[in-house]
Amino acid sequence: MKMIIGGAYQGKIGCATELFGIDEADMVNGNTCDFEEVFSAVCIKSYHKLIAKLLAEGVDPVQFTKRLCETNKDVLVIMDEIGCGIVPLVKAERVRREATGRCGCMIASESDTVIRVICGIPTYIKGALREG
Amino acid sequence: MITLVTGGTKCGKSGYAERVLDRFEGQKYYIATMNPVGDDAEEIIARHVEMRCGKNYVTVERLRDIGDTEIPEGSGVLLECVGNLCANEMFVGTEVLDPAKKIVEGIKRLSEKTEELVIVTNEVGSDGNDYSPDTMAYIKQMAIINRRIAELADNVVECVYGIPIVRKGRLIC
Repeated sequence: MKMIIGGAYQGKIGCATELFGIDEADMVNGNTCDFEEVFSAVCIKSYHKLIAKLLAEGVDPVQFTKRLCETNKDVLVIMDEIGCGIVPLVKAERVRREATGRCGCMIASESDTVIRVICGIPTYIKGALREG
Repeated sequence: MITLVTGGTKCGKSGYAERVLDRFEGQKYYIATMNPVGDDAEEIIARHVEMRCGKNYVTVERLRDIGDTEIPEGSGVLLECVGNLCANEMFVGTEVLDPAKKIVEGIKRLSEKTEELVIVTNEVGSDGNDYSPDTMAYIKQMAIINRRIAELADNVVECVYGIPIVRKGRLIC
């Protein structure tokens, strides 16, 4: 697996296209896709939105992410970092935030490459892009 | 040695902090700052107790006055976490205090007794939301404390989705 993370609108998708040659049109959108689509996707964008949708539908996002890691080992997952703020007052928001952290840790652990994008600039925080 | 571990929610800070202390062979103390009352507290505490199970930590609960913690000279200490400590010192009854100076001085005093001190803190200032003046004051106090501790620390490590990134000093593990 591979992973691209960063704040919202930092240029994560542009980096995915530039570094891995995946057009945005070919990415599965976590905000709008059917859950099952991710298991055969080449690239999933907005995975943090998918986590929110899973929770809303009563699906355990940690188990779901585990299944993703087991079945789609070549996927590129793009997701926001959302945990660096004040703990939300609403319980459901706290659950969502923590689930996003746990799923992110799992994907990062399973990935051979993790890239963090800030201001459009990618930094490899795990692994490196292979030549060719 | 002093190591500050920072990052957002569920980013692997505690796990990393414990791995740093795994190398320490003397007596290890876990200073717990979380108020054990509240919605999620029991769940969080239970999870952290399980994580430390079998690792020979002596647990010391210390909600405030961190500098007065009684531990022997030369100990290994995991302090978790500054976010709770700050809230406990800041919101006392109806009063709102500015505890940054007290906490930093307390941690300095604590560090005089420790051979290996690992401090877990929290990034709370990057969600871009506006909060009440009290919460904004908390964000500011946390920022001041984190910056001051980072000055004292030999190593500062940020955890991002479980990946440790060195910000000062070196990556111990």
